[in-house]
Amino acid sequence: MQDIRQEVELALTRRQLFSRAARFGLGIPALSSLLSGATNAPASASHFPAKARRVIFLHQSGGPSQMDLFDPKPAMKAMFGSELPGTVRMGQRITGMTSGQSALPVAPSVFQFAQHGKSGAWMSELLPHTANVVDDLTIIKSLHTDAINHDPAITFIQTGSQQPGRPSLGTWVTYGLGSENKNLPAFVVLLSTSNTPINDQPLFSRLWGSGFLPSNYQGVRFRSGAEPVLYLKDPDGLDRSSRRLMLDGLEQLNRMRHEAYADPEIETRIAQFEMAYRMQSSVPDLMDLWNEPESTFKLYGEEARKPGTYAANCLLARRLAERDVRFVQLYHRGWDQHNELPRHIAMQCRGTDQASAALVTDLKQRGLLEDTLVVWGGEFGRTIYCQGKLTETSYGRDHHPRNFAWWLAGGGMKAGLSYGETDDFSYNITKDPVHVHDMQATILHLLGMDHTRLTYKFQGRWFRLTDVHGNVTRQLLA
Amino acid sequence: MRRSAPFWLAALTIVNGWAWSAPPAVDFGRQIRPLLSENCFACHGPDETNRMAGVRLDTREGALAKIKPGDAAGSPLFQRLTHAKPALRMPPVASGRKLTDDQIALIKRWIDEGAPWKMHWSYTPPARSEPPVVKDRAWAKTLIDHFVLARLERERLHPSPEADRRTLIRRVTLDLTGLPPAPADVEAFVRDKAPNAYEKVVDRLIASRHYGEKMALLWLDLSRYADTHGFHIDSHRVMWPWRDWVIQSFNENKRWDEFVVEQLAGDLLPDSTPAQRLATGFNRNHMINFEGGAIAEEYLTEYVVDRVETTANVFMGMTMGCARCHDHKYDPITQKDFYRFFAFFNTVDEKGLDGKRGNAEPKMFVASPGQLSEIEKMDDEIKSLRERLKEKDVDEAQAVWEKTIEPAVALQRRLRAGLEMHYDFEGGLEDSSGHYRAAKMLASEPTYESTPVGRGVRLTVDEKMQLGDGVLEDDKQPFTLAFHVRPTHERTVRLFDKGSVLQAHTGVSGYVPYYKRGAPLTLHFGERKVVSEAPLLYNQVTHVAILFDGQQVQLFFDAKPVGLQVLNDAPVRFATREPLVIREFQGHLDDLRLYSRVLKQDELTPLATHLSAHRTSEIPPGKRTREERDRLRGYFLTHTAPAQFRDMAARLKKLETERTHLGEVVPGAMVMAEMKEKPRESFVLRRGDYRNKTDRVEAAVPAALPPLPPGAPNNRLGLARWLTDPSHPLMTRVTVNRFWQQYFGIGLVKTSEDFGSQGESPSHPELLDWLATELICTNWDVKAMQKLMVMSATYRQASKSNPALQERDPENRLLARMSRFRLPAELVRDNALASSGLLNAAVGGPSVFPYQPAGLWDELAFGREFTAQKYTPSHGEDLYRRGMYSFWKRTVPPAALVTFDAPDREKCLSRRAVTNTPLQALALMNDPTYVEAARHLAQRMLRDGGRKPEERIAFAYQRVLARAPEVRETALLARVAAQQTARYAKDEAAARKLISTGESKPDAQLPVADLAAWTNVATMILNLDEAITKE
Repeated sequence: MQDIRQEVELALTRRQLFSRAARFGLGIPALSSLLSGATNAPASASHFPAKARRVIFLHQSGGPSQMDLFDPKPAMKAMFGSELPGTVRMGQRITGMTSGQSALPVAPSVFQFAQHGKSGAWMSELLPHTANVVDDLTIIKSLHTDAINHDPAITFIQTGSQQPGRPSLGTWVTYGLGSENKNLPAFVVLLSTSNTPINDQPLFSRLWGSGFLPSNYQGVRFRSGAEPVLYLKDPDGLDRSSRRLMLDGLEQLNRMRHEAYADPEIETRIAQFEMAYRMQSSVPDLMDLWNEPESTFKLYGEEARKPGTYAANCLLARRLAERDVRFVQLYHRGWDQHNELPRHIAMQCRGTDQASAALVTDLKQRGLLEDTLVVWGGEFGRTIYCQGKLTETSYGRDHHPRNFAWWLAGGGMKAGLSYGETDDFSYNITKDPVHVHDMQATILHLLGMDHTRLTYKFQGRWFRLTDVHGNVTRQLLA
Repeated sequence: MRRSAPFWLAALTIVNGWAWSAPPAVDFGRQIRPLLSENCFACHGPDETNRMAGVRLDTREGALAKIKPGDAAGSPLFQRLTHAKPALRMPPVASGRKLTDDQIALIKRWIDEGAPWKMHWSYTPPARSEPPVVKDRAWAKTLIDHFVLARLERERLHPSPEADRRTLIRRVTLDLTGLPPAPADVEAFVRDKAPNAYEKVVDRLIASRHYGEKMALLWLDLSRYADTHGFHIDSHRVMWPWRDWVIQSFNENKRWDEFVVEQLAGDLLPDSTPAQRLATGFNRNHMINFEGGAIAEEYLTEYVVDRVETTANVFMGMTMGCARCHDHKYDPITQKDFYRFFAFFNTVDEKGLDGKRGNAEPKMFVASPGQLSEIEKMDDEIKSLRERLKEKDVDEAQAVWEKTIEPAVALQRRLRAGLEMHYDFEGGLEDSSGHYRAAKMLASEPTYESTPVGRGVRLTVDEKMQLGDGVLEDDKQPFTLAFHVRPTHERTVRLFDKGSVLQAHTGVSGYVPYYKRGAPLTLHFGERKVVSEAPLLYNQVTHVAILFDGQQVQLFFDAKPVGLQVLNDAPVRFATREPLVIREFQGHLDDLRLYSRVLKQDELTPLATHLSAHRTSEIPPGKRTREERDRLRGYFLTHTAPAQFRDMAARLKKLETERTHLGEVVPGAMVMAEMKEKPRESFVLRRGDYRNKTDRVEAAVPAALPPLPPGAPNNRLGLARWLTDPSHPLMTRVTVNRFWQQYFGIGLVKTSEDFGSQGESPSHPELLDWLATELICTNWDVKAMQKLMVMSATYRQASKSNPALQERDPENRLLARMSRFRLPAELVRDNALASSGLLNAAVGGPSVFPYQPAGLWDELAFGREFTAQKYTPSHGEDLYRRGMYSFWKRTVPPAALVTFDAPDREKCLSRRAVTNTPLQALALMNDPTYVEAARHLAQRMLRDGGRKPEERIAFAYQRVLARAPEVRETALLARVAAQQTARYAKDEAAARKLISTGESKPDAQLPVADLAAWTNVATMILNLDEAITKE
C-alpha cells in the first residue's frame, strides 16, 4: 500500500518538476527531480554516453604547493636563495603580499621525490599512501587559472567565473543530470575540520550556491554532529509515530485544499513533506558508521571514526557514492602556507594522504571507481620564490596561478598518466596547458554533457559553466 | 484623485485600442524580432567585432539588405533559412539554435506581408492607449481591468468571480503589509456593508507602517543590501540606516522620481540634506574586498561594474553587463557605451581594498549634531596624537631603548633550558618546546587574536583547553609555570586545574579581599592554599609566574615578586597523572611555558617584558613588516618610553576606545561622494580586464537611447534626471512592471530584469504602457499606483483554478483568475510569528540574530579578530523580529530564509525563484522558530480559544488562515488533538521537552500534556500549504 502511494507521489512530483522547469524557462535539460526523488530517471541532459555517473570533488582549499607534492624540481637545489630570473617571471603580476618584497629568492623543496607504480609517476615523500595508488590516478601538472587570490580563484574553480553570481559546478551537474536517489539530496557538501594550526581561508556558500539557477539546485551542507542536515531532527519530545500521525493529517488537509484550488503546487508540497520524512531516517542511516567493518578504519585510518575529519568525510563520500548521490563536494582547508610551509604541509599531508588514497582504493574495490570521478586539487599553486624568511629548512610560498597540480581518478580518466610539464622553476607551463575552463569542460564531458550545450537563459543570455571558453582535454580521457 | 497632467503629456502618443477588425497580421515585435534575436543576433547583431559575413539583422537597414519585402522566396534571408544544403542552412548546426517549421512559416508570412519593421518595443517611449472597449462592462472596477478583460475576451476566457471577503482581506493584507490580518479586522470587513468597504481596508493598509517594510523587501534584493562585505573574510558593515531610509521613503510616499534621484545622486543635489546623502547608499551596497594580497585596481573596477549592472538593471531592465567585454550581442549597447556609463560611477572617492574595520570610504554618520561635533573633536585629537607619536624624537628614543634589549636568540637559548611545554598561541595549539605536547580544545575551537603582547588565544567560560600531559607527576619536582593573561570576565576567574589537586583561580567568596578592578589569585597545592596579596587585574595583560623550588612556592606578577598569604597550611602536593586543563576562564592567554626548573629573576624579566618585542627588535627597522613595526612601537610606548610619550600614548588609547564606543552607538552608512581632486579617468577595457586600458572615455548615456535632457550636468545627477525624465522609454515601464510582479507573481513582462531583445515581450503591452504613463500622470505617486492595482477587479478575483484552465494557462499570464503562490521567505516566518502572537513588530534598527543552528558561520569563517565571524543569537524580543531584519551575512546568508529562496544578496536580483523542496518541509516541521510559534499559538488556543476542541481549532484557523475550518478539517484536527493529549498524558517528560523549545517560557498555568498536544495541532495548521501561501 505504502509503495503504491509513494509511486503516485513520485509521478506527481516528476510531472510537477517538469512543469516547473518549463516555468523557469530551463533550456535543454528536462532534469528529473533532485530532492524530489525519481529513482530511474535517465540522465536527461546527456549529449552522449557518460563515463562517470557521479563526482566526488576533494577541494584542497588554500592552494597546495605543487613543487613540494607532485612536480619535482631538482635543479632548484643549486639555485637556493638566488633571485627568480626576470626571464622566468616575465613581468607577471604577483600578489600584494610579496610584491613589496625586496627580493624573490628561490626556495627549493626540502622534500624527497621518487617514482612510483608501473606508471613511474613522481610523488613527494609527503604522500606515501597516494604514491601507492598512482597507477589509478591521472596527475595533471599544467593546470592554470586567471585568479591570484583565494576568493576569486576558488569562485572561479567552482563557478567558472571569478566574480560571484554564477551557479556552481555541482549545481550545473545536478541541473543537467538530476538525481538518482529518492531519499537524499543530489548535491551534498562536506566541510572537514582542518588539521594544521595556520589560519584557514574562509569559504562561502556561493561555492555550492545555485547562482541564477533555481535554488533547489544548490548544494546541501551535511554537517558532522547530531543534525547533519538543517532542521532534520524532530523537536525533543516528539516521537516518530506522532510525526507520522501529524504528516498523515497534514496530507489530508492539504488534499482538501487541492480539491478546491487545483493547484499542482499543493501536490508537490505533500510529496516534499513525505520526502522530508524519509530523509529523517535516510540521512542518519547514511551518517551512522556502525556497520562499517574494522577493515574500513584500517584503510581510511582511525581518524575516520571522528566525525568531521577529512578521513571521516572521505568515508562519507564513499557512502554517498554508494547511494548514488550525484555530486559530493568536499572542502578541506589549511593549504595556504605562506610561511613555515615545510612544517605545515607535512601536518596537512599527514591529515589527508591516507584517506584520499583510501577513497580511491575503496571505490575501486567496490567497483564504483569506474563510474565515479574523484577530483583532488586546490584553487591555484604556490611560488618557487620564498615569501618571508628563507632558511635551509623553512620557507613560505605565495599564491601562484600560472601552474598547479591536481589528480583525478576513475570516471573515464586515463589512469597512470602524468600530464603536462612546467619549467625548472615550476613557474611557467612548457607543455600541455590545461585551463580551469578546460578542466570544467572535461569533467562535464565525462558526465556525458557537452559544456557548450549545458546552458541556462538568464538576463537574455544563455549562460554556461565555462562562459565562452574551454575545450575538453581529450588526452586525459581513457 | 488624478492630479493635473503635466505639460509634456501632450507629447505622448495616443494610439487606439485593439483594432478588432484588422486581419491577424504578423506582429513583428512580438512574433518575429524574438525569433531573429534568439537565433541570429549572436552572429548578426549589434556586436561589430564578432559580426559574421557583415550581415546585420537587428536594424532595419541591415535586414532590408537581405529581405525583399513582399517576396519571401526571393529574399536571401529566407533562402538561407530553408537552404537545401544543411551546411548553408541558417542557423548553423554548431550554434545549437534551430527554427521550427512553424517559425519559418511565420517569417515567410511576415516577409510576404511586406516585412514591416518596428524599433524594439521598449526603446520607444510608452504610448498611452485609450482603455479598450469590452463586452462585460460591469466587471471592470478600474481602467486596468479593461485591458485585462479585452485580452480575456479575445482569448474567449472569462474572469473568475471575486474572491470571498476572508480570502480577499488576507491577500491584500499580506500584499500590502506582509502580515496576516487581525481576526477583528477580518470580521469587521466581512460585516461591512458599505460599498467602499474594500477601499477602506486598502487605505488603512497603505497607511500602515508595515506597508513600507513590505515594499522594501524587493528593493533590498534589487539593491543587494546586506550586513557584511561579501568577499573573502566577509566582515560586518553598517548599512541598516539606509535600509530604514527605504522603508521610511515608502511609508512617506516619497515621489518615485525623487526616490530614484536621491538614491543615485542625492549627494550631488544642491544643498543636499543628510537624508539625501544617506539615500546614495544604494550604490554602495555592492560587495567590497580587503583580502590580503588582492590588487586594489582590480576591485575598484569590479565595484564600478557592479554599479553599472545594478543601475542599468534596476532602472532600465537592461543587461548592460553583457557589454563589458564586447558589444552587446542582442541589444544596442556597444562596449564603448558600457564604459561611458561606467564613467558616471568611476569617480567615487573610494579605495579598491577597504572595509577591514567596518564601513568603507566614503561614509557618513547618521547622528545628532551634538554627537557629530563630539566625533569630529575626538577624531582631530586622535589624528594629532598619532602624528605626534610618529615624529623623529620618538624614533630616536625607541632606537636608544632597542640598543638595550638583549638579543632574542641568546635569550631564547637561555630560556629553552628545562622547557617542558611551550605554547605561543600564534594561531595554533602546538607545543614548540620540542616535546610535542600539543594542547587541544575540548568541544570547541579557539580564537586567536592580537593582544598588546602579540597574537594569543582567546577563551570563553564554556571552553576548555587541555594542555599536554606527562609533567608535574612528582611532588618534589621544581617547576616554573609562566604565562601572559588578560582576564576579561569580571567575576570569578578560574585559570587552571590539574585533577583538582593543583588549581588557580581568583575571586572566591568571603575570606579574600574584593577589588573592583581585579581579584587576588588563589593557588591550591593539594590541601595547601595560598592567596596573593596583590590582585590580578581584569582587562589588562599581566605576566604570571608560579615558581616551586621543591619546597617553597613563589609568585611573580610582571616579574615582580608578590606576597603570598597562607589560607590553609598543609604540605605542597600537586602530583597527578591528569593533564593541566584551562577551564571556566574568560580572556586572553599567551606564551604559556612550563619549566622543570626555577627560573631566575634575569630570566623572568625578559619573559615578562614580552619576548615578542625582543624578537621584533632584532629585525632591522627597514625590514619590519607594518604589523611588526606597530607592535614594537606599541610596546615601547606602553612600557618603556620616556614618561611624556607614555602619557600621550595612554591618552590616545583612551580616546580611541571612547571613539570606538561612540562609533558603535552612532550608526553610519557608506555613501556616494565624488573625488575632489583629479577624478579617476575611465577607459574602454579590452575584454573587461582592468589591466587592458584602451581608449579614454567620458561619461555618457548609451547612444541608442535619448540624450541627457537639456541643461542636465554630465554626472550622476544628470544621469538620474535623464532616467526620471518622462520621455525615458524604460524607467517607468520597468518600475510598474515590478509593482505588478509583487501582486501577481509574474510581471506583465515576465523577465522583469530584461526588457531587451532577449527578454520576453509583455503579455499586455498596452496595459504596461498605460500604467507607465499613469505613474507619471499621478506625479509619481507610488501609493496611488499600489492602490490602483489592488483595487482592480483583476486583483480581486478568486485564485481557484481548474484542470482545464491549468492546462490552457499554467502560469496564469492571461489573468482569468488571481495567481496563487507561496509567500516569500521573510513572510513565511513573519506569518508564523504574527499569527501566534510572538512577533515583535518594531520597524527598523540594527539587524538581529534569530535562532540559527550553531556553527553555521564558524564552519566557514576566517575567525580571529574580524567581525561577523561567529553567530551569537539575539535574546528576548529581538528573536521575534520580522525576517527582513535578520542579519544578512553574504557568505552564509540566514539559513532558514535561504531555504525558502531568499538570495545571498551578492548581486542585484529582481525576481526570486519559488521552489518547493523537502528542506522547506523540514524547516517548517523542526526549526525552533516554528515549533516555538506553534506552542504560542497553542497557548492562545487554550487560553482564549474556548473549552471545546472545535472552538480552539476555529480560533487558530481564524488567526492563521483568516477563515473558519470546514467540518471535516475540524474533525481531523480534533482527532489528532485527542490522540496527542492521551499520548502526552502518559509521558509528561516528553511533553515538557516539546514545550520547552525556544527561549520563551511555556505558560505554567496550562496543563503540560494539553499544551504539548495542542502545540502539535498548531504545527499542523502552521505547516499547511495554505498557511504559507497567498491565495
